[in-house]
Amino acid sequence: MRLLLVEDEPKVASFIRRALEEESYAVDVCVDGTTGLDWAQGVNYDLIILDLMLPGLPGLQLLRQLRAAGVKTPVLILTARSEVDQRVKGLDAGADDYLTKPFAIEELIARARALFRRASGTPTGTLQVDDLVLNPVTREVTRAGQRIELTAKEYALLEYLMRNAGRVLTRPMITEHVWDLDFDTFTNVIDVYISYLRNKIDRGRENSLIQTVRGSGYMIRADS
Amino acid sequence: MKNASIRIRLTLWYGVALGLILVIFAGVIYVVMSKAMQDEVDASLEEAAAVAVRTLGEHRFGPFLIFEDLSQDFPELALLDKFFQIFGPAGQVTIQSANIQSREIPLSQTAFQASLNGQATFESVRFDQGVPFRLLSVPIRHGERLVNILRVGTSLQPTVDMLDRLLLALLIASPLAVIVSLLGGWFLAGRALRPVDSITHAAQRIAAGDLTQRITAPRSTDEIGRLASTFNDMIARLEVSFRQIRLFSADASHELRTPLTITKGETELALRRPRGAEDYRKVLESNLEEIDRMSRIVDELLFLSRADLGEIKLKQVPIQLDDLLRDVQQQALVLGKDRQVETVVKEISPMMVSGDELRLRELFLNLIDNAIKYSHPGDTVEMSLVPNGEKGEFIVKDQGIGISLEDQPRIFDRFYRTDSARSHSTKGTGLGLSICKWIVETHKGAIRVQSMPNQGSSFTVLLPLSPSIP
Repeated sequence: MRLLLVEDEPKVASFIRRALEEESYAVDVCVDGTTGLDWAQGVNYDLIILDLMLPGLPGLQLLRQLRAAGVKTPVLILTARSEVDQRVKGLDAGADDYLTKPFAIEELIARARALFRRASGTPTGTLQVDDLVLNPVTREVTRAGQRIELTAKEYALLEYLMRNAGRVLTRPMITEHVWDLDFDTFTNVIDVYISYLRNKIDRGRENSLIQTVRGSGYMIRADS
Repeated sequence: MKNASIRIRLTLWYGVALGLILVIFAGVIYVVMSKAMQDEVDASLEEAAAVAVRTLGEHRFGPFLIFEDLSQDFPELALLDKFFQIFGPAGQVTIQSANIQSREIPLSQTAFQASLNGQATFESVRFDQGVPFRLLSVPIRHGERLVNILRVGTSLQPTVDMLDRLLLALLIASPLAVIVSLLGGWFLAGRALRPVDSITHAAQRIAAGDLTQRITAPRSTDEIGRLASTFNDMIARLEVSFRQIRLFSADASHELRTPLTITKGETELALRRPRGAEDYRKVLESNLEEIDRMSRIVDELLFLSRADLGEIKLKQVPIQLDDLLRDVQQQALVLGKDRQVETVVKEISPMMVSGDELRLRELFLNLIDNAIKYSHPGDTVEMSLVPNGEKGEFIVKDQGIGISLEDQPRIFDRFYRTDSARSHSTKGTGLGLSICKWIVETHKGAIRVQSMPNQGSSFTVLLPLSPSIP
């Protein structure tokens, strides 16, 4: 899952980024509204966390322009103003959720998860493909009841694959949703991580869930 | 009466006053009218008596006058509204006119006695059926001797009837007038007081917290109109200051929310899982920084609110301003070194001002600190202190980020921070320049800013000089 955080206060941006990265999300941070709008339109983010008080372009205007441009990415707004009016304006401008500063970091993460869940159309928290189960809350992955230990990146890659189970995901798509802007596109990092995942999930099993689609990318699917 | 509405009281006062005036007026009219009518009756009796006496003189005097002769000569004597009686010198009736009919109207003792003394007598009498009469008895003398007594009488019935009608008219008209005036007063008082009711309703709604309410009383220049417009002006001013207070507290809470968000977020993040000692140290350091920031905001807010309430008393002592500035510059050197900004005093002249040393030091330090804070590393901050007429002029000039033209008028507002100031430095509270402005103004000085974005700012403070002590 790849997120854009638009927040001008560096320390706020920093702890939110670290917290989200600990959840294996890829996070891009930008500090002003104008850049925020550019990035939000240029990259296919899974979630945008948007502060309303921004230099350059105020958060509400950014949001309106983003929606006007047809970008449907879920947006969670952060506001230091507790007035109902502000939240109503934010939601009406196209936000999907809001949090008032100061907020509990766990709540921010839970709301982000809820927005992902809504976007991927899975009403319950857990993702399941055949006997492979991923719980985004506990970040536990099991196959046939057996616990599988994954690194943060492996987990992020698997979560993205499972949220889009049955769909072919191209390498650029995977890059866009699992890695942040620092990712070097000319490496074969994706293939390497896919092979790591296969080792942990499919090796020694009857049916392989992760499949290579020649010439396109990868897909996770129940039937083989 | 105390609890009755003004409307009722006005109306009642009005009615009572009018009633009293009418009673007095009616009484006077009645008395004057009855007196005038009686005078008229008396005058006509006198006239008739004079005619009769003259007639009697032309005829022969004596106890045996023939009325028919008399009436032949003086047809007016037979007039229906008067009757004549002629008494002999002993008081017995000798002749009387026909229209007296069979009534017995003897001569009274008073009239007889007066006649003996040669005086005429007016009398009012009332007979059997209650018909009042007015009588005039005139002695007719021949030399010293009383020959006859002539009496002329007339019924007062027409007069009494007239007065009764007048009384009746007054008794009916007066209460009617009072009732009409009460109704009119009630209506007028109600109309005059209606705006007061609307003011009351508006005040009630305003008391309930809705300061957008205004009184819709007609815009007139009368007392109520003036009250309404004064009231509206007052509410408008209240609304403005309430909005400012709301904005101010919203700004204050917003400024406090940022450090709170950071301390809460960083602490929660640190506690999510076990971490190394270095990580914890970083969090604690950062939190300490934010706690300092909150303390600064709270201190400055408290200072400004006390300043607003006039609770901050400034000392008025002579201060050698150039010495103070040199002192502050030593601190500025240290501040500048951290950010690789050079601080230079270009020109400094000795001068004295009268004021509070602590506050003036704060003023200089704030301005110089700002100049350093918004400079780029390697920039120079220049200061100068020179006399300018009656004033001392302190200028601090930087080559920093500058302030856009539209932001310039607002930088002295509380909590106002330009976007570039926000992104350039997280240390500011947005209150420093408000405090500077307050210090300068309480020293009867002025503060100005000149700035160009990305070229730097120059703050000028003018303070009135006091004559230097040798």
